[in-house]
Amino acid sequence: MNTYNLPDDALVSVENLQMHFPIHKGWLGGKTGAVKAVDDVTFHIRQGETLGIVGESGSGKSTTARAILRALEPTGGTIRFKGPDGNWNDITHKSDDELRELRRYMQMIFQDPYSSLNPRMTLEQLVGEPMVNHGITNKAEIRDRVAYLLRQVGLRPETMSRYPHAFSGGQRQRIGIARALALNPTFVAADESVSALDVSVAAQTINLLQDLQDELDLTYLFITHDLSMVEHISDRIGVMYAGRLVELADTDSFFQRPRHPYSEALLSAIPIPDPRRAREKKRNVVKGEVADPANLPKGCAFAGRCPYATALCTEQQPELRKVGEGRFARCHHADELELKGTTA
Amino acid sequence: MQTENILEIEDLKISFNLRDGTVNAVNGVSFSVRPGEVLGVVGESGSGKSLTARAIMNLLPRAADVTGGRVRFRKGDGTVLDILKEKRESATMRALRGGSIGMIFQEPMTALSPVHSIGKQIMTTLNLHTDLSKKAQVDRAAELLDLVQMPKPMEMLKKYPHQLSGGMRQRAMIAMALSCNPSLLLADEPTTALDVTTEAQILDLIMSLQDKMNMAVLFITHNFGVVAEIADRVTVMYLGNDVETASVDDIFYAPKHPYTRALLKSIPRLDGQKKHRLQTIEGMVPDPFNLPSGCVFHTRCTEALSGRCEISAPEPTHFDNAQMARCHLHQDQPGPVA
Repeated sequence: MNTYNLPDDALVSVENLQMHFPIHKGWLGGKTGAVKAVDDVTFHIRQGETLGIVGESGSGKSTTARAILRALEPTGGTIRFKGPDGNWNDITHKSDDELRELRRYMQMIFQDPYSSLNPRMTLEQLVGEPMVNHGITNKAEIRDRVAYLLRQVGLRPETMSRYPHAFSGGQRQRIGIARALALNPTFVAADESVSALDVSVAAQTINLLQDLQDELDLTYLFITHDLSMVEHISDRIGVMYAGRLVELADTDSFFQRPRHPYSEALLSAIPIPDPRRAREKKRNVVKGEVADPANLPKGCAFAGRCPYATALCTEQQPELRKVGEGRFARCHHADELELKGTTA
Repeated sequence: MQTENILEIEDLKISFNLRDGTVNAVNGVSFSVRPGEVLGVVGESGSGKSLTARAIMNLLPRAADVTGGRVRFRKGDGTVLDILKEKRESATMRALRGGSIGMIFQEPMTALSPVHSIGKQIMTTLNLHTDLSKKAQVDRAAELLDLVQMPKPMEMLKKYPHQLSGGMRQRAMIAMALSCNPSLLLADEPTTALDVTTEAQILDLIMSLQDKMNMAVLFITHNFGVVAEIADRVTVMYLGNDVETASVDDIFYAPKHPYTRALLKSIPRLDGQKKHRLQTIEGMVPDPFNLPSGCVFHTRCTEALSGRCEISAPEPTHFDNAQMARCHLHQDQPGPVA
């Protein structure tokens, strides 16, 4: 099963992850097909790094994150997580009971700071809840830790007895972060965590996440559709399209020279906040729409929109293969194409 | 009203009287749009940008009070209409909305009717504003869908919004807004809910249509990247004030208001410089019930002049290059200041 060797400092390993959802149709509700939300996704995340996953809606990036945190049980593949004792745990099919101990080390920050906090709980209860769940019963101890966490994310501990409605979107996102940090996790998945925030507040939140990473040696899986954000925060980038990982690279080389035509299309589509460069830029806007994961074509899912597609592409599904040091691309023509990045 | 403008907003003030107090959501906003130009209006949530757009359509929420200012629009025949003096439901207003002024919104799924086909919805607009025959309406609707680059327009007419993807729905909404050749298009965050590749398609479409039909576009967004790509001029809003208006190049390369400068510094750029910290604007957007005295930005401004900015609200300063900034830093120095 090992498609490539894991480095020693890996913390999370995902191999051939598959998440299919059945489609039921008709009067008897028979299974007529499957939505291949995630198909054959392989990557690892190193201790202390930030891996950014980008992709458009429906590309399977959130499903991948949820499967890694085992909010979903994968229909195939292997997910492994290195515990604090340094041993690998295969968590692919573990039950909730078996996962309980490990869960404190893997946490999630959600997109919508309005719906992800219970409006009837005070900050103390919200941030303290994970500790209560993990058997810490001493009230004073919880209170101290909550105060410490609130200070750490830049909120005043005196606000502990207030309810979420009294806080703005950016502050609520900080509450969500404090809650995720309550149990000293090693791994945090942030799913579109700053997408709902205004520009200036998003910048504050990103800086906070980076500070916390330095301070607490956190490992991030950062999921977003915003490529400029991902360039700023990630060490490595994975690009997903129609449920598959189409490219994996370190951030700098990705933006210099992407190796998959879809990555090039994404990069060329980003609106750049620089009017002179925007006027000079020749945009090659890809035509058409994202492939339907319930009805994927036989060959490469991007072939129908790809300006470089050949007969081979519509016939045969390309594999994710190594195209350079630490670089992987799922494209038949990755070696011969000279694709344009943004920083070259 | 100046002859070269198609739309003029002058010192517009909108407030809400709520149980907890009065919120001055729009607090003296002025800008104008010339025929055939794209004016980008940028601001964070709560800056009053959408409310201003609704005032142009005379479609403010019923709880809103217009406490001052006016909105004037020059119609095709050259007559000037004082929009806020009209009754919301008057024949003039109804002829204007969807006629001379088209509008597209952020979420096409909620802006389109889920129980009528795309064709039916476009034809309703045509029915209200033109005297085309039924047959001619169908042809015109198909022509419009073709104009917004929908594949197989004749078949698309029969589709319902839920059968279309987000990008296709937005195209259908643009087709509807353009059905009567408007001279002004109001676009309120039309690409915010779309993916980047779809966003690029829709922006290209709006730009090519704007060029083809020579209409003015008022484009509301919070995304500076989008503004840089499509706007000719830009108005920056903060807490119900228009803090700066200038050509797109002046906004990006020579911003005069500290808020514009701070916002531009806080956006991540694809410039290959890794791991620098993003600059932020200190503090938070103030509570709308208790706006700061003087300049509303002074509580977060790094260049605030004590004894001045917290006392009086700055009047607009107009520079030679048609740039305008509402800031005390420029008040005593006539002429351009770097």
